[in-house]
Amino acid sequence: MTGWLLRRSLQAALTFAASLIVLFLLMRITPGDPLARLEGDVPLSPEERSMLQRRFGLDQPLGTQLRHYLAGIARGDLGVSIGHYPERVGSLLRSRAAPTLLLGGTVLAINFTLGAWLGVLQARHRGRRLDRWLTRLSLAGYSMPSFWLGLILIALVSLRWRLLPAAQMTDPLLPADAGALTRLVDVVRHLILPAATLSLVTIAGTMRYQRTAMLEVLRLDFVRAASARGLSDGQVLRRHAWRNALFPVLTLFGLWLPVLVTGSVFVEYVFNWPGLGSLTADAIAARDYPLLMGTAMLASAVVLFGAWLTDVGYIILDPRVRDP
Amino acid sequence: MRGGPLGRLLAAAWRAPGGRTGLLLLLGFGALATLAPPFLTDPATMSDVTAGAMAPSMAHPFGTDHLSRDVLSRVINGARISLVIALVAVAVSLVLGAGVGMVAGYVGGAVDAILMRLVDGARAIPRLFLLLLLILVWERIPLTALILVLGFTGWLGTSRLVRGEVLRLRHAPFILAARSLGASPYRVLRVHLLPNVAGPLIVAATLGLGEVILLEAGLSFLGLGVQPPTPSWGGMILEARPVLITAPWTSLFPGLAIACTVLAGNLVGDALQASLDPRTA
Amino acid sequence: MRRLGILPALAIALCAAPATAQRPADHGTAVIVFGQEATLPVPLYLRGKANQDAADLMYLRLARVGSDLVTSGDRGFEPELARSWARRDSVTLAFELDPRARWHDGRSVSARDVVFSFERARDGKTAPQHTVLLRRIESVAAEGDHQVVIRFTQSYGEQLYDATRHVQILPAHLLESLPADQIPGSSFAQRPVGNGPYRFVRRDPGRQMELAAVPEFFLGAPRIDRVVLLLARDPEAQLNLILDGTADALESISPISNIPRVEARGDYRLVPVPTFILGYLLFNHRAYGDRSAPHPILADVEVRRALAMGLDRTRMVRATFGNYSAVPQGPVAQLHWIRDPDMRSSRYDPAAAGRLLDARGWRDSDRDGIRDRDGHSLTLRLSFPGTSSARVHLAAQVQEQLRGIGVGIELVRLDGPVWAERRNRGEFDIDFSSASMDPSPGGLTQSWSCAGLGGSNVAQYCNPRVDSLMASAILATGDAREAWRRVLLAINADAPAVFMFAPTNVAVIHRRYDNVTLRPESMWSSLWRWRVTPGRQIARDRGSP
Repeated sequence: MTGWLLRRSLQAALTFAASLIVLFLLMRITPGDPLARLEGDVPLSPEERSMLQRRFGLDQPLGTQLRHYLAGIARGDLGVSIGHYPERVGSLLRSRAAPTLLLGGTVLAINFTLGAWLGVLQARHRGRRLDRWLTRLSLAGYSMPSFWLGLILIALVSLRWRLLPAAQMTDPLLPADAGALTRLVDVVRHLILPAATLSLVTIAGTMRYQRTAMLEVLRLDFVRAASARGLSDGQVLRRHAWRNALFPVLTLFGLWLPVLVTGSVFVEYVFNWPGLGSLTADAIAARDYPLLMGTAMLASAVVLFGAWLTDVGYIILDPRVRDP
Repeated sequence: MRGGPLGRLLAAAWRAPGGRTGLLLLLGFGALATLAPPFLTDPATMSDVTAGAMAPSMAHPFGTDHLSRDVLSRVINGARISLVIALVAVAVSLVLGAGVGMVAGYVGGAVDAILMRLVDGARAIPRLFLLLLLILVWERIPLTALILVLGFTGWLGTSRLVRGEVLRLRHAPFILAARSLGASPYRVLRVHLLPNVAGPLIVAATLGLGEVILLEAGLSFLGLGVQPPTPSWGGMILEARPVLITAPWTSLFPGLAIACTVLAGNLVGDALQASLDPRTA
Repeated sequence: MRRLGILPALAIALCAAPATAQRPADHGTAVIVFGQEATLPVPLYLRGKANQDAADLMYLRLARVGSDLVTSGDRGFEPELARSWARRDSVTLAFELDPRARWHDGRSVSARDVVFSFERARDGKTAPQHTVLLRRIESVAAEGDHQVVIRFTQSYGEQLYDATRHVQILPAHLLESLPADQIPGSSFAQRPVGNGPYRFVRRDPGRQMELAAVPEFFLGAPRIDRVVLLLARDPEAQLNLILDGTADALESISPISNIPRVEARGDYRLVPVPTFILGYLLFNHRAYGDRSAPHPILADVEVRRALAMGLDRTRMVRATFGNYSAVPQGPVAQLHWIRDPDMRSSRYDPAAAGRLLDARGWRDSDRDGIRDRDGHSLTLRLSFPGTSSARVHLAAQVQEQLRGIGVGIELVRLDGPVWAERRNRGEFDIDFSSASMDPSPGGLTQSWSCAGLGGSNVAQYCNPRVDSLMASAILATGDAREAWRRVLLAINADAPAVFMFAPTNVAVIHRRYDNVTLRPESMWSSLWRWRVTPGRQIARDRGSP
């Protein structure tokens, strides 16, 4: 087990290193100049300027630049942000991580509970009207651009019906002495619409995956045996199928992380949610290449971590499964 | 050669109810995008700019946008752009993915290991970020470049798929037989291996269609994709934001168009996938 | 089951108001929506309107121009840091500072602060654009603690204006030991100390800035105790903050189609405020990004005139602003006293424009709809900030109209800071500029004279004849209108830009405020005189400061 864990972790680390190399290559082949914004109003100190030049300047020899780039990352130094100067990329990422974790975590929770439950429902009623309609609805949600859905929800729920706030994570005017409960309620009110948007867009995949997995499970011999013994569908599910059905949940975790990361860029932008997604949108607007690189690195780290977690989860659930 | 599996798959898709809807939608959009534009008003014409956005009417079935341009015309012209971008980008991804996958799977060894490690590394980076890093500092990206960049970022999964198939079949008897008869690697790949991966490739392509359309719309919404005055669905939604409430039709129709097209792609892809693996039907 | 138990608690939490100290019935809070972030609201070092507006709440000038906005002469100015002034001779003004004026850290505002501030303003390194404006000041000297004497290089009409308008006074005791280039990164910049009715409390980067009233403010105790400058870059987000009641004031509704939505909310008042804003399509006289070479297309004055004639400005302005904008006829905004209502900077005549372009050799030889000459097509890039919905709206119309005369326009939509940088570096063909102009016509020298070439004159427009006309107009005593008219005619003849809009802002102010004045040249600077109508306080007015 430990040996497997070590091997798997090493593999993840190597893949992450490959991601970093790929990001570096992208930077070299991009047709524009990543440091185009360096002149002008941004008052960098000479040290910062030369550091950015060494890392992102395209006139540097390949070897030198790669060296500075990797060394910097190893040190944890991702450079200074051009658009948010003088903040450093690393500290910007840290400061904006929590809201995205909150949003992403909520969406994952909704997917795992509501989505999984609906998927199971579909499996149980396979082929019947409920199944077909759920498929259509979820596919429709999956096909909508997340930013458009977000705008529609804002227009209806916030602006027309005035039920929920239209933007940001907190009410900026909460008095400084507001209690914890007030703050919590405030954040929840702001969280509902962005979480709903991302969930609507991702739930289709979850439902479908869960449905497929549940159908697979229902076919397994031991479940059939139980069914043959006279247990009802529900009892069969509860007793035997659930544990095995947790596998899809884990798979989904690994699968949905990239989608969440991408979707959060648009949703946070539209809802002005102060997380990493809107930070990425800021970087885009300000042509802030160092910051964009930083968010891309973080995104791939998150995705790889999710995949690693998934595999670890598999092992814990069923030691017979091994890395393919 | 590819017509065989392709034809079979399309027939299978047609038979499935969802797949039929999807195919009809796609064909419908394609037909409209190709044939309708000459009959519509010029999407850049501002008919009465002082009147601003006008609600749907007989003269303008989808209304006009904030610059009094006909929304129906812009949606259909936007369809043309979006569909072309999506089709060509997916084609580029297919070619690249199949190519890299076959090389990696067939050659094996260090080449395979390095290639696949890089591919895995790149796959860990969400596609949107790959796109952004490539086009962020590009002033006013030309359409061709946008398509190429979209295609260039979409082949990673496909290559893994193809490589897997090639690995599986590499030592199959019929392949070994072909090789012992002196067939060149190229011939083996093209004639013997390719038809076997055609099915999954086509499924990946149709699903990829929807993904590209959403990405392209997203990029245009961020101001990075198709540049005005060329109409694009994402760009239309961006421009419609200031009048979201006062002129909801300006963002409604482009969004619906995106959703319908992506849905169509997904329906077809789903149906194809189901026909390949009926247990999940 | 546990979940149900939380609901009553939540309900109570939502309804309960925090216990507060009793506040006077006419005191309150003001939440103002800003479209840009005020990251450095320190006078002389600040750039951009947001910083200027924030600084106007924290820093005073010696005096301010009167409500008639006439910048020439000595009459009409209102005392601020200087409680009186006297003219000693035709080139000397003596100011007596109000002894009650204090810095936010308690120290008294003294003549040394004034001398220091002018020194920094005039040194050419700190704020080059100010240095240009202050070039007619010869010396600034202190006479004792509360007396400042300013000498000018010559006699001219706007001496008092120049002495008071451009320099907000900075605290010498906190800043004189810091070299000028270290101030933006210093702790002072993080927590500025001023002398105005509001002091800095804190800033949440990317979200808001909070200011608190200075109760001992010497010109009168502010009744608005707390001011929050809320950031929302997006015009739609700005409006939402008003519509959902989070904010109390917004400088300008944009686009105007949103006006009915605010009207539908009965608790807000719409106040049209004419502005000093001027929007114009600026032609680059030098090549894109290369100031050493003339622009291959736009260096030709006939081409520029033709472009101006190809634009139906009245129609475009009406479409974008409705009735809330005038069409400027020269580089003058609505409120400039030198404006001549009968002047026309260009007329709309696409046929004549076409003929003019034909005459200059630009014909459509390859029948693609765009004119060309010697293999180069008549295509120009129009840069504009995506954050200005008016300019976004207009840019598309400009593109369409110029297409009608065979000129190809590529729209380059940029984010605010990126646009500003490109502009400063001369990386544009046509820049859709918008400036909040100085009330003084002397401000024209910044952008439209050869002297402004290193600073605001990013298009490198330089006509020595215009410069000399401007110089004589500035020096004219008495009624200078005729002299300025000649300047405007000369500039218009060169067609360095197409003057597109001079808007009237439609400001949104919550109805509960009383005694509200909105000064066009500095919107929120009278905030300290506002009060809340007793009986109409809302929750945040009563909240703790």
